Amino acid sequence: MTSSAVDSQELEQVRRRVFLALFVALAVALHTVEVLLPNPLPWFRIGLANILALTALFSYGIQALWIVSISRILIGSLLLGSLFSPGFLLSLGGGIFANSLMSLGYKLWQNKIGPIGVSVLGALGHVTGQLLIAWLVVIRHPSIWMLLPFFLLFALISGIINGLAADYLLTSLYKHPAFAKLKVTTTASKEKNHLES
Amino acid sequence: MKAIGWIKRLTAFDRKLLVVVAVLVALSFLLLLRQSSGARLVVSSDDRIVFVAPLNKDQRVELEGPLGITVLQIESGAARVVSSPCARKVCIRMGEARHTGDLLACVPNKLVITIEGDSTEEDAEYDFIRR
Repeated sequence: MTSSAVDSQELEQVRRRVFLALFVALAVALHTVEVLLPNPLPWFRIGLANILALTALFSYGIQALWIVSISRILIGSLLLGSLFSPGFLLSLGGGIFANSLMSLGYKLWQNKIGPIGVSVLGALGHVTGQLLIAWLVVIRHPSIWMLLPFFLLFALISGIINGLAADYLLTSLYKHPAFAKLKVTTTASKEKNHLES
Repeated sequence: MKAIGWIKRLTAFDRKLLVVVAVLVALSFLLLLRQSSGARLVVSSDDRIVFVAPLNKDQRVELEGPLGITVLQIESGAARVVSSPCARKVCIRMGEARHTGDLLACVPNKLVITIEGDSTEEDAEYDFIRR
């Protein structure tokens, strides 16, 4: 093992750490901005912060997804003063559900699924998780599930928007030399794999 | 052309997934529309059940709460609050409760009226307590 090989490995690790920190910071910023935006309907949020979680997933894998989204929820809630409030529980429950679905989808269909597919899975997981926590913790009433169809529809739309944004971000990130060593997993490359297989 | 440009950013698998999800969303809306009419009305106060009545029998019920008497009207399978001693009359403005899971509440007078069961049930007798 030459010393330069060790160095480049170390460099990759440092890069990963730096980029994950950057993703978390951007996700916290988006999370905060989104809360500040006027919202016509309570509970309906696009979840822009998930763009960064998706970017982390497609560039550094499942562990990175969890690091970015859980850190984002903790830090974002701390900044907004909602840490450990019922709203925070909803956020965390939704996040855990979304991450589980996204990890599962990413693992099961690794060579076929693109950012938009994973994003839609995540959005669906998020609303389902939130409603489940809301039902368990806040309102113990079955009629809360009547909101689910509206939430699912909204999740489908917001999932597409976030996935699209993440795909654009990934495409431009991969042009940067810092990402040269990573396996390129944008939609364009997936399509190529798909056609070849 | 630019408006449909985003479709190019979907993998073939993503497209199939989106169709499946769209169908699921549509199905969930259908389930919502097909909700059944309720069989009975349950009134609780401070987590205790104080009154139970079938929805298919028209009647006028006087419910006693800490503020006074709230009058509930059951008519053609639906229940509504017709008068209440509370200040804001939110319970009156909540309108009718007809379907399983519907709810009318008068928070100041500590009354929660829920619709339970299914009108298609053979035996609409009240034989168990659900939390």
